[in-house]
Amino acid sequence: MTNSMNDIRHSRCIFMIGSNAAEAHPVSLQHILYAKEVNGAPLIVVDPRFTKLAAKATEYVRIRPGTDTAFLMGLINYIIENDWHDKEFIRTRVAGFEEMRKVAAHYTPEVVEEITGVPKDQLARVAKLLATHRPGTVIWCMGITQHHIGSSNTRACCILQLVLGNMGVSGGGTNIFRGHDNVQGATDVCVLSHSLPAYYGLKEGSWKHWCKVWGVDFEWIKGRFHSKEYVHKKGFTLARWYEGVIQEDKITQYTPIRAVVFWGCASNSQSQYHKLKKALDKLDLVVIIDPFPTTTAAMCEKDNVYLLPSTSQYETEGSVTSSSRQAQWRYKVVDPLYESKTDYEIMEEFVKRFGFADKFYKNIKKVPEDVTREIARGALTIGLCGWLPERIKKHTDNWHTFDVDTLQAKGGPCDGEYYGLPWPCWTETHPGTPILYDISKPVTKGGLPFRARFGTEYTYPDGRKESLLAAPGVANPGSEVMGGYPEFPGWKTDINVIREALKRGMAPFGNGRARCYCWNFPDPVPVHREPLHSPRPDLIKKYPTYPDKPDHYRVYTRFASEQKPELVKEFPLILITGRMVEHMGGGAETRSNKYLAELAPEMYAEVNVKVANDHGIREGDYMWIESPEGGRIKVKAKITDRVDERTIFLPFHFGGYFMGKSFAGNYPEELVPYALGEPANIVTNYGYDIITQIQGTKEGLCRIKKA
Amino acid sequence: MKKALALGLTTVLWPVLAAGADILRPYGPVSPVEVFRKLNGLLLDAWPDEGRAFMEFITSFNVYYLYLALGLLGVFLLHYFVFGPRKIVHRGEKVPYYGFFTRFVHWGAAVSMTLLVLSGLAVLFAKALGGGSLVMGLRSVHVGAAFIFVIFAVFLFLALVKDMFPAPYDLKWFLVLGGYLSRRTRPVPAGKFNAGQKLWFWVGTAGGLVMFYTGYKLYQFTAPVSYLREVLKIHLYLGLAVLGLFLIHLYMSVIAVKGALQSMLTGYKDIEEVAVMHPKFYEKLRLKG
Amino acid sequence: MARMKFLCDIERCIACNGCVVACKEGHQLPVGVNRRRVVIINEGKPGERSISIACMHCSDAPCIAVCPVGAIYQREDGIVLVNKDICIGCGYCFMACPFGAPQFPRGNAFGARGAMDKCTFCAGGPAPTFSEKERRLYGQNRIAEGKVPLCAGMCSTKALLAGDSAVIADIFRERVARRGSGIAWGWSKAYKE
Repeated sequence: MTNSMNDIRHSRCIFMIGSNAAEAHPVSLQHILYAKEVNGAPLIVVDPRFTKLAAKATEYVRIRPGTDTAFLMGLINYIIENDWHDKEFIRTRVAGFEEMRKVAAHYTPEVVEEITGVPKDQLARVAKLLATHRPGTVIWCMGITQHHIGSSNTRACCILQLVLGNMGVSGGGTNIFRGHDNVQGATDVCVLSHSLPAYYGLKEGSWKHWCKVWGVDFEWIKGRFHSKEYVHKKGFTLARWYEGVIQEDKITQYTPIRAVVFWGCASNSQSQYHKLKKALDKLDLVVIIDPFPTTTAAMCEKDNVYLLPSTSQYETEGSVTSSSRQAQWRYKVVDPLYESKTDYEIMEEFVKRFGFADKFYKNIKKVPEDVTREIARGALTIGLCGWLPERIKKHTDNWHTFDVDTLQAKGGPCDGEYYGLPWPCWTETHPGTPILYDISKPVTKGGLPFRARFGTEYTYPDGRKESLLAAPGVANPGSEVMGGYPEFPGWKTDINVIREALKRGMAPFGNGRARCYCWNFPDPVPVHREPLHSPRPDLIKKYPTYPDKPDHYRVYTRFASEQKPELVKEFPLILITGRMVEHMGGGAETRSNKYLAELAPEMYAEVNVKVANDHGIREGDYMWIESPEGGRIKVKAKITDRVDERTIFLPFHFGGYFMGKSFAGNYPEELVPYALGEPANIVTNYGYDIITQIQGTKEGLCRIKKA
Repeated sequence: MKKALALGLTTVLWPVLAAGADILRPYGPVSPVEVFRKLNGLLLDAWPDEGRAFMEFITSFNVYYLYLALGLLGVFLLHYFVFGPRKIVHRGEKVPYYGFFTRFVHWGAAVSMTLLVLSGLAVLFAKALGGGSLVMGLRSVHVGAAFIFVIFAVFLFLALVKDMFPAPYDLKWFLVLGGYLSRRTRPVPAGKFNAGQKLWFWVGTAGGLVMFYTGYKLYQFTAPVSYLREVLKIHLYLGLAVLGLFLIHLYMSVIAVKGALQSMLTGYKDIEEVAVMHPKFYEKLRLKG
Repeated sequence: MARMKFLCDIERCIACNGCVVACKEGHQLPVGVNRRRVVIINEGKPGERSISIACMHCSDAPCIAVCPVGAIYQREDGIVLVNKDICIGCGYCFMACPFGAPQFPRGNAFGARGAMDKCTFCAGGPAPTFSEKERRLYGQNRIAEGKVPLCAGMCSTKALLAGDSAVIADIFRERVARRGSGIAWGWSKAYKE
């Protein structure tokens, strides 16, 4: 999120695409509905499904799954055509606008209607709403990201906000709602395979920086890897790790995967679950660290599972990072129950047995405070330098002194600081940055320009040269340079450079322009590409996907070779997945809660009344849903108008059944969740993002029949 | 006061908020009036039509039971002292009247029925008993007794039904009120069972089954609320009839007709009694020899 | 004296069921007993609305009128409570209630209904305040602690308002004035003044 949940209260327009915040982020609706009521802000909801959020919308746009980029580019084009774009903002702070504009010109209202199914009048109305209600916020979630063009979708959202000049202002911004209270924190410390913590990447310099922070020898670290190549090679992703075991797609790793550790991770949230299950039954070792015996444990039919009971969040403590980049201290409420151990203890036991405890705990004498301190010392790129445990605790203890609208403390021990020190919080005295890229405030008071990440100048393919630094006269108040400036050399690894920059009133990462044209992406400007499994074979030729990618996070990933126009004949219905408000993620915790299980006891599929009648299915009937990959699930039909006549919706929280068979007997005695059901992801389709490899669960195909 | 009124039915329509009003119209406009109406339909259900009437019914119905019980008590006393119990001189000759099975199911039904009546009255007049766990316990007795009663009632029905069909002379029996309003003993028009017994039989068994069904619905308590209200009404009205006949039966068999209780215990009736009280049946016996 | 009331703003309610779960967890209610519930109209269609409903703590409460043992009573602040030591579980109150508020957990003998259970406005019951008996029979007594009921405290969108009727009516009226629409559903039915 560039802004914060609370800042949505200042929005004059709320544009939500691919988000069902009413179910996934109920508390955020407090701020959204406040803006809707107090500011008269239109609430525009773009979604293939009439969600509980759409019920609160002033404008609901039903869109064909997987065509978000086309719709967004259509909006951008319509806004530019009508001269509603923020010309001054674009002149001073945006790069590649002309190149983007040429691409966007293709997406006329007629073309957009053809691709997305959104009537052109509605596109025009939405564009006008966006143009006449500024600042507006753009909010999205997994409905935007979980596509094979997810990265293009997200960029199209960003470009829309740049064109409207809604970036860096209160009430504007691109706001991506993260899941639970520490998803942002998990991203920041990068529990991912492609980078070291805080987005440093895997280059030698990155390793050396972190080795310095950890106080270990880089050569020693290197020696832990199979070969030098793997030190810098991106690993498998969560979406496709199981290919490292079953190798149905060719892998580029010296060995297949033999063991897997699920540490607070629900396997049933990964697509093509039936293949993942195959991997579970082939692995030598499956370790599950969780407060609950998860679906994963029940699915393993081979005797290869170890369950390590960990504590819940209430039995341990530490810092967590909210969706709005704010840190909070989560205190312990009760001592660990039964034989469960905290994650820290489990990690310590592992480290001791692996024999590098001396190195691992070099800077850590007291858990978890020293861990937070180490993160603060290392994560300079996102400015976690000011996140000292004492400060975070002080904020949490004095939360009542902060203003609900501005998040700033008025008086008290945190006077002038923003709640949770939203990063970047550059130094021990920095108040945090509540709104990213806001040049109305001095950098030392929470202001920032756009980052000058990609140099100072670029020559586009047509020969046009453009400066990548902000225009003269545009900088934060108090900046020594009133205009664009490049990044300070060495700021990512040396806190003193950051201090120096701040002393001069400047941002350590420079004052650049936001790019509409990303030359390092396969599509420099986002373009529509039909889903791999497209229900519109006639459009595949015009909007084909990418060529196959042979080494995509160590596994061959099909794009063009997977896109078959004839597939829709056999699998005529579109399959999308999403959340229910009663359950969370894989549901291990919530399905084991009797009250939540009482409210949402059963797995179901939402089916439109026409589809149901065509297939002879009545409300509550069991039906089979089959995927092109051979996955099939038996679920109850819920007949509803929420979905349209070509779409099936599945909630993905369930587990404990597999292709019609109950696995309840595989749970430890007396620990069977109250609510069991087929995992929706057994039938989610093949398809992964070209850059991040996120699974494309919101654009598959399926067929149904009465069970 | 005004506040509450203004709030109670605030149905202001969407106002024109800004100049661009046409683009601000709500998606899928649904008038607040319609929302109000739908919520009423879903949540209040039949309450607006039935609620008040139900409240009046339930708060005033207990007294009917009281009136009935006290009224009957008065009638019995009056009858006892004015006409006295029926005593028939007997010479000792006895005829078999009730088989063992009949007596067994009769007493099974009688005991469970007595429990039902007593526990039912306890629920109705719970306030006098102070409510709480005592009455809650008696409610459980009511439920338990009902399951026992219904089994006996079915067999009692099967055992006696062949003699319980209405006959033309039953009307006459009612006209002379079974001859009970007289000190003199004269034959009354009745078969093996008189019209009063027949009435009691049908109310007790068939009515008992209705009582069981309605009671079961109230025990389950899962039916729609307006159905429950109806069911409760039936249970209470029919209960009134059962109570009345139960008390009359009790008075007649134990006090008013000497020997009646004895015959249900032993199975034999005095021949004279049969001749007077059940002459049609007596003729049949005589024909048979 | 303040008059306690509930008001659910249906333009704000998102049917998240947070109030329901907060109530059940907070008072440790048995499964099947719903002191509060959320109902949706026009589900999946334009015009979808939802409302959270519990005992409205009516003036002239029908349940009090029909209770054959006088187990239900109204406090001075309008909160309607049941005395489980007196209640006989007859169910008349359920049949008289316009809102379906009274609940009946299964008792022991023959599975007959136990004493009636309903929303207490988080004000405990007739047992001594903060006693173990009060907690066991009626749940928490947050009103005595000076806190709002759990459901309203938990409400993610502040749709559910609970407290002094003058205050919550002001909050709601302000919202209605700002956005131009709103229904205080149930108020005309439940409250007389």
